[in-house]
This record gives sequence, C-alpha cells and structure tokens, in this order.
Amino acid sequence: MDILSGLLNGFAVALAPANLLWCFVGVFLGTVVGVLPGLGPPATIAMLLPLTFSMNPAGAIIMLAGIYYGAKYGGSTTSILMNVPGESASVVTCIDGYQMARKGRAGAALGIAAIASFVAGTVGVLGLMLVAPPLAKFALSFSSPEYFALMSLGLALVVLLAGRSIVKALLAALFGLWIASIGTDLFSTNSRFTFGRMELLSGIDFIVVAIGVFALGEVLGNMEAREETQLLEVPKGLRNLLPTWQDLKDCRFAFANGSVIGFLVGTLPGGGSTIASFLSYGLEKAVSRRRDQFGTGVIEGVAAPEGANNSETGGALVPLLTLGIPGSGTTAILLAALVLWGFKPGPLFIPEHPDLFWGLVASMYIGNVMLLVLNLPLVPLFAQVLRMPVYLLYPLILGVSLVGVYSASGSLFDLGLLMVFGLLGYLMRKLDYPAAPLILGLALGSGMERALRQSLMMSQGELSILVSRPISAVMLSLAVVILLIPLFGKLNAWRLRALES
Amino acid sequence: MNIRCATLVLAALAALPQTAALAQGFKPSRTVELVVHTGPGGGSDVLARALAVMAEREKLLPVRMIVVNKPGGNSAVAAAYLSEKRGDPNTIGLFTGVWLQTPLVSPEAKVTLRDLTPVARLVLEPAVIAVKADAPYRTLAEFIDAAKKNPGKLKQSGGSNTSRDNVVRQLLQKSTGAQWAFISFPGGGERIAALIGGHVDIMVIEPEEAGEHIRAGNMRVLAQVSERRLPGFPNAPTLKEAGFDVPVVPQVRGMVAPPGIPAANVAYWEDFCRRLTRTASWQKYIADNQFEDGYQNAADLAKFYDEFTGRMRDILKDAGVKIVR
Repeated sequence: MDILSGLLNGFAVALAPANLLWCFVGVFLGTVVGVLPGLGPPATIAMLLPLTFSMNPAGAIIMLAGIYYGAKYGGSTTSILMNVPGESASVVTCIDGYQMARKGRAGAALGIAAIASFVAGTVGVLGLMLVAPPLAKFALSFSSPEYFALMSLGLALVVLLAGRSIVKALLAALFGLWIASIGTDLFSTNSRFTFGRMELLSGIDFIVVAIGVFALGEVLGNMEAREETQLLEVPKGLRNLLPTWQDLKDCRFAFANGSVIGFLVGTLPGGGSTIASFLSYGLEKAVSRRRDQFGTGVIEGVAAPEGANNSETGGALVPLLTLGIPGSGTTAILLAALVLWGFKPGPLFIPEHPDLFWGLVASMYIGNVMLLVLNLPLVPLFAQVLRMPVYLLYPLILGVSLVGVYSASGSLFDLGLLMVFGLLGYLMRKLDYPAAPLILGLALGSGMERALRQSLMMSQGELSILVSRPISAVMLSLAVVILLIPLFGKLNAWRLRALES
Repeated sequence: MNIRCATLVLAALAALPQTAALAQGFKPSRTVELVVHTGPGGGSDVLARALAVMAEREKLLPVRMIVVNKPGGNSAVAAAYLSEKRGDPNTIGLFTGVWLQTPLVSPEAKVTLRDLTPVARLVLEPAVIAVKADAPYRTLAEFIDAAKKNPGKLKQSGGSNTSRDNVVRQLLQKSTGAQWAFISFPGGGERIAALIGGHVDIMVIEPEEAGEHIRAGNMRVLAQVSERRLPGFPNAPTLKEAGFDVPVVPQVRGMVAPPGIPAANVAYWEDFCRRLTRTASWQKYIADNQFEDGYQNAADLAKFYDEFTGRMRDILKDAGVKIVR
C-alpha cells in the first residue's frame, strides 16, 4: 500500500476525537509511570488489559503504545533530579544528567531529554513507517554470534567510560559481569551463586543494583561529607531553566546518534533499550570533542541516551508488527494484547489490518508532539524539586527508591539487596571506582554469556563462527580497536618520553 | 415403629440438609487472591487476568478475584508464598509445568506441588514441530534421517534444558538413535527468529504462535505433539501417526491451593474449576489458543503429578540434568 495514502488514512483514524483522547490518556499515564521508579510499562499495560476489552481496538492499541513510549520520556526525570533511574533504560542518563543537576543545570538537562526524546521518537516512527519490512529481514540475519559481537562492542566502551583508571573500570565491569551470572543457568539448569536462597534463583534484578549503586550510594556519600544543609543551585529565570541555543547546537550529533542507534538496536529481537542507550552514549563520547568531560555533566551525554531509548520503541515495534516477534518485555505484552483482542500479529498483519497499523503510526507522531508539549513546561516545575534542602531531599530519594523497588517485586529480600548495593555504591565512591562500568557489565553480562554459548553450540565448539560471519567480524574488530585505543595513547606517551631523554 | 425410632429417623432426616449445607458452607469470605509465578505481562499473568475477568463475567464467584504476582525463583517464590498461607481458603495459585519441574532440579526450590494441595488440572497445551518453509525435510522422518547422517550438526531452538521442547527432543533421540543439538533461548520471539532466520533447523512451537508464520509461508509443520490432530492442523500427523512411539509430553496448567485446606474447600474450588471449564468464555479461550481441555479433579491431578514427575526424572537424567529431589 502506498505509504502516503496509508499515512493519510492513519491520520484520519488517529485524529478521531475518541482516539485522540486515548492517545492523551496513554502518553500521560506513560509519563507518570516512567517517572515512578519500579512501576514500568509492562505492569501498567497488563493491569489495564481487562479495561481494553470493551474498547475499540484502534483506540486501545493507541493508548497502550502511548504508555510504552511515554514512559521513556518520564524515565529521565528522577534520573536527572535524584540519580534514581526510573527505568532500566534511563540508567545511562543518570551519569551526566545528575551531574548537570548538581551544577544547577537540571532544567537544561530535563529539557534536552524531552527534546531529544521527541526528535528520536519521531525518527523512530519514520523508520517504522518507511523501512520496517526490509529492516525486519535484515534483523533476522542477526543471530547469537552477531549479538555477542554487539555486546562485546558495548562492553569495550567500558574503556571509554573509564575515567581516570582503566584498571578500576575493568574491575568494576568484571564485578558487574559476575553479578549477572547469579541465578539459574539457562542451558543446564544449574544454580549459580545462589547461596541456597531461592530468591536468587532468577538472578538479581538490574534495577535493584542500579538504584542501589547510583541513588543510595550518592545519598550515603553525601551524608558522610557532612555538608551544611546546602541547596543545590537552581538558577532563577525561565531562560536558565531550559536548554539554550548553544546547547541545542552542541547536541546536533547526539540527536542523530540517539535516533539511529536506538532504532537499529530496537529492531533486533535480542536488543533492548538499555543496550541502545549505552551504545549511543559510548559513541557520543567517542566522537565528541569534550570527551574527557563526559561524566561531569555534559549535555550531549544526556541527549544521546535519552534519544536512543525513545527511538528504540519505534524500532521494537518493527519485528512485532512485521513478523509477530516480540523483542522486549513490553512488546511481548502488546503481542498478548493483540492476540486477546482477536488479531494475530505476524507477517500478514500489516496487509490485513492497514487501518490499525497506519492509525498506530499516525498516533505515534501525534503522541510524541503531545509528550513534548506535556513535558517541556513541566521542566521548570520539576527543577524546583532541587530547591528542597538536602535533609528533605535525601529522605525523599531514599523513600522513592525503596517504594520503587518494592513495587516492582513485592519482595523484602530485594529491599535487603538494595541496601547491600547501596553500601557497595558508597564504598565505590570512597575508593574512586566508577559505577557506570559495573552497571554496564551487569546489563550486558547475561546476554553476552548466552550469546557466546549459543554461538558455540551452533558451531559445535568452533570459535571461528564469531569471525567467519561478516557482521559479527566487523563488530568484534571494532571492539578490539576500541579496547586498544588507550594502549596507543600509552605507547605514544612512552615514545615521547623516550625521545625527550 | 415406636416413638424412639421415629425420633431417630426424624433427627437423621433433619440432619441431612445440615450436612449438605456444611459441605456447601464454604464460600470465599473476602477477595480471592490468584497467585501467579510471573511478573505482570508474563504468560501466566495474562491467563490469570483473563480468568479473573471470566469469573466475573460468568458470575462464578460471590467475591472479586485479584491477581497477585510473586515472580522469582522460577516459580519457587510463588510456591513458597502459597505454602506460607497454610489453611487459608481464599488464596489459590495458578500452576504451570515449571512448578512441577523446578523442585526436581533446583535444591533451593523446596516446595513441590504435592506439598501444597492440588485442586484441578485445567488445560493441556499441545505443540507442533516446525521447520523453515524452504527446509529440505518434508516429514519428521526425513529430518531424523538427516540427523542420523550428521550427528550433532542439526540444531533445534527452544527453552531451557528442562523445558518440554528438550524433553520431546530427548524422547525422540532415545527412540530413534539420532542426535542433534539443542540451543536455549530465553524468549519465544528469539527462538522463532532463530528458525526463520535460518540459524537453527527445527523447533517445537505452540500452535498458536506458529499459526501466523505458517500462513505467511515462513514455516512448515512436520508433526504435532498431541494425542489427536488439532483442528488447526488437519494435515500434520501426530507423533504416533508419523511412526514415533514416544509418549506425548503435555504442558499443563491448573489450580493449586495452600496446604492444610479442609476437604470442603477443595471441593468448592474443584467445582469452581469445573464450572469455569464449561463457560462459553473459557471454551472460546481454549479454541482461540488451540489448547486442549485437560480437566482433572484433585485426586486425578495428584496421580498425574506423581506419574509425570516420575517420568520427568528419568527423561532428564538421560539428558544429563542433575536431579536433586
């Protein structure tokens, strides 16, 4: 079907007053859900499913999709203001976003997150509209060797996230990889590092570690400094509370970077928004002129990952709607919802239900605009949160973290784990170990190990499978190059010293 | 008949409706909790929510039913939660095959289905064996022959090594002497992508999931893991019809209650399940998902459990999995 006529039909569906209302309800709920750590789009969509049975399917899918990408907008709020990742995809935003808030630029950070999310979200929908079928085919050629190479590339970015000491960064990453191995091995059903506790049988939840190390570690570290009840600076005036034109100019590449990487990683059934945001952040740091300042509050470091996790939603809908294959937790529920309503997502979904598909696409454009309009004016309001004295703010952070973790799992054991990782985060700050590599190792660890073992099973033990396939060979070589960059730096310094003497 | 006899008979007659009333005396007194082992959006969770909606629509319960998620531990956390609710008749759980298997292989999962109170078995999930549409195998026998010629080279995608996918593979391998590799993928989407993308050769897949891919011409079904031919697959032979004498390993779902529940409560929940399986909404659900109605009452379910786990132990031991219980 011709794209233009399809899109026009879609807008006719999406602009119907009832569907507009559902779109607004969806994106609003999504933003709220994204802001609250712990409660995520999968849980919200599952709880709303019974209500959707009596709705028109177009309105229902528009609303549920709105929750999905709306949550990505909201996830950055607590990340920037309190160093508490709202979603696992927002962890990377904490790194520079929170530092910007500490320097008094919370408004700019929140604003650029909203703008980057809008740009990338729209690009994601464009991609879904224009290149979905051929891209889906390409994504099918990705299998375990390619996933292993992609994640190795992500892990190699540890080097770029290293800060001062690469050894400490690598140690942190290794520790993250170890935490990822806790649980039940998928291939042999052996229990690993469960210490006899059944709660550890399914591993340690990523968000527990992230909130513990980032948010609680930060609170504990600052409490120890015994600072007077200092307010974090919040500049006066609306102009200082939003990104400046200079900021927008600085982020030009970050917008493109986030959009493209997020969308591409999203189309891979084994990809995810966490990987997308890490890769996008790493790429931004690699090409930026201010790469040494990343981690201290650089605005591109917020724009890139935030854009990536938004365009990833458009990308994740590609395999769902063109092949009927869900890529992530939320798309799996959207699949279940479609099945419950009587549709069968698969390769014939778009040709047989063009109104539904194009209505959804059109509503995503509208939804992204609604979210920009919803989020930008709220930025100065949210930034005021930081005017609270720290003796109010830190207990708030603590409370939000505890409630968030408990609401996700209902388990007191997880709260205990949260405390343990909070202490770990504190220790890491004292000993100057960077936290980002640990989170990266945890995020990629299980996926990488699985991909490697699957690849070896496919090749019956031949490691060459990783380099005999073109895509994985290219990505692995890139990973090796990235890992060797600091070596070149050291060789150069050694050579210069040799020349001087 | 003298007065004393008459009084006795009258007393007995008067007592009858009382006993009947006692047996029917149990009704849930507060909101019923339906415990599932997945988080919101997982397979069991979606079924449980649909079940709660059906119970309300068909007015099967005098109270509301809510879904309580107790994820973690591959069902061990949910089983432990039910075990803690000893004697509470207003809590029930929705179990699946993983509840039966996890205690066999994980020492940390201490609560088995027998430690709780089995109530009823609800559905049996059949499966089909599928290959990519352009694969050179027209029948399962051709695939088995190819596997015999190249031992270990052909690949199957599936879940964990204790999942039904691998059990079917183990049974076929043992009965035919063929050998092929099994590659675990955690999600159904990735397994299907591996097959359609040409990275594995065969998979065991739920009929509902396969439906659309077959219609689009990406997949082909070689055989079905079922006692009778499913209505959606009239042309695919069952394993027995295809000449493979292996038992059909069902994937089951059903209801279980906490331990220490009096018989009257179990009877109430059995009756609830029986009425549920007769409602129109449930029949439609079964038909849409191509499940089989596998209703069994509590006593039969207990027998099924013993037989199923006994068989599982042998099959998994052959597969090299360590059995702990």
